[in-house]
Amino acid sequence: MRYCIDLHNHSCLSPCGSDSLLPAVLAMEAADKGIDMLALTDHNSGRNLPAFAEACEIVGITGIFGLEVTTLEEIHVLTLFETVRDALEFGQWIESILPRVHNSARLFGNQFVCDVRGTIIEEADLFLYGPADITFDALIEQTLEYGGLAIPAHIDRPANSVTANLGFLPDLPYSAVESIAMPPTVETLGYTVTQGSDAHYIEHIGRRRCFIESASDGFSGLRSALAAGAVSYLGF
Amino acid sequence: MMNVKELSTKLEYTVFALPDPVAQVTDGYTSDLLSDVMGNAAEDSVLITIQAHRNTIAVASLIGIKAIVLCNGRMPSPDMVVAAEQETVALLGTAENQFTTSHRIAAALGIS
Repeated sequence: MRYCIDLHNHSCLSPCGSDSLLPAVLAMEAADKGIDMLALTDHNSGRNLPAFAEACEIVGITGIFGLEVTTLEEIHVLTLFETVRDALEFGQWIESILPRVHNSARLFGNQFVCDVRGTIIEEADLFLYGPADITFDALIEQTLEYGGLAIPAHIDRPANSVTANLGFLPDLPYSAVESIAMPPTVETLGYTVTQGSDAHYIEHIGRRRCFIESASDGFSGLRSALAAGAVSYLGF
Repeated sequence: MMNVKELSTKLEYTVFALPDPVAQVTDGYTSDLLSDVMGNAAEDSVLITIQAHRNTIAVASLIGIKAIVLCNGRMPSPDMVVAAEQETVALLGTAENQFTTSHRIAAALGIS
């Protein structure tokens, strides 16, 4: 079966994400756009994943539970997990190694944690944009060891990408690499390439996606498809 | 000590935004990692960097940095220029690299 996947999206928890981008809105809009497997990947925190999981369940799509981690080198990496529990635990660890800086909502934006209805439960005080006190190489290793998928984000972007910040793509066991442009404009060294929306506003939802060939729409199916390179793209 | 207008004129920088020409700068900080800037730069500094995007303005404003010099001819994104005006941070540019920019600014400020 062919499934439509979008593994990179933010919610109102990310300081740079729109306050209107509630986890449930993300799930509903994505389902409407035909996405079968959808990840929420807020910056360095998983606090909106419980609401997101509930919403995915309601709209009938597969939720993938993740974070977009900022490494010491200020490289963004998608770390994706099968269960909310695993992602929350990983997220707590990442939050514990973030700089102890308070968020300034005026300068960086709000960091709302909400429930599935969009009611604000708390406002995260710790500035979530990072960077976590972990190197790029170590984060990839830790994520995989934790049973997750590790995908360097937007490797063709001029800021906060492995290509821009290191100058090259180190040879590491990535689950895939994410590119904004397709075909990629930077060296991908034969790794499986994914495309994701990186939605920060409601109108971004579903703007980029790709497709996997898989026996199931579960996390293990996703893992196998990425490992096998069984990914196709719109227009290719 | 020098104001940002004097600094910009003396070193012939391109001006992208100059919301407060008489803001005084007393020190400089050179870094391309915003987390490093956030942790270590002094207020009233001029920041020498190639990070030509809006987040640089947010970090500068948080710390009280008065001016940013974008090196190597990097052009700011349009939203960076808007943010610089809003947050009252001077946004300047030069074709020179960070090393040359740093020692020329240090000399201009009399701290070399």
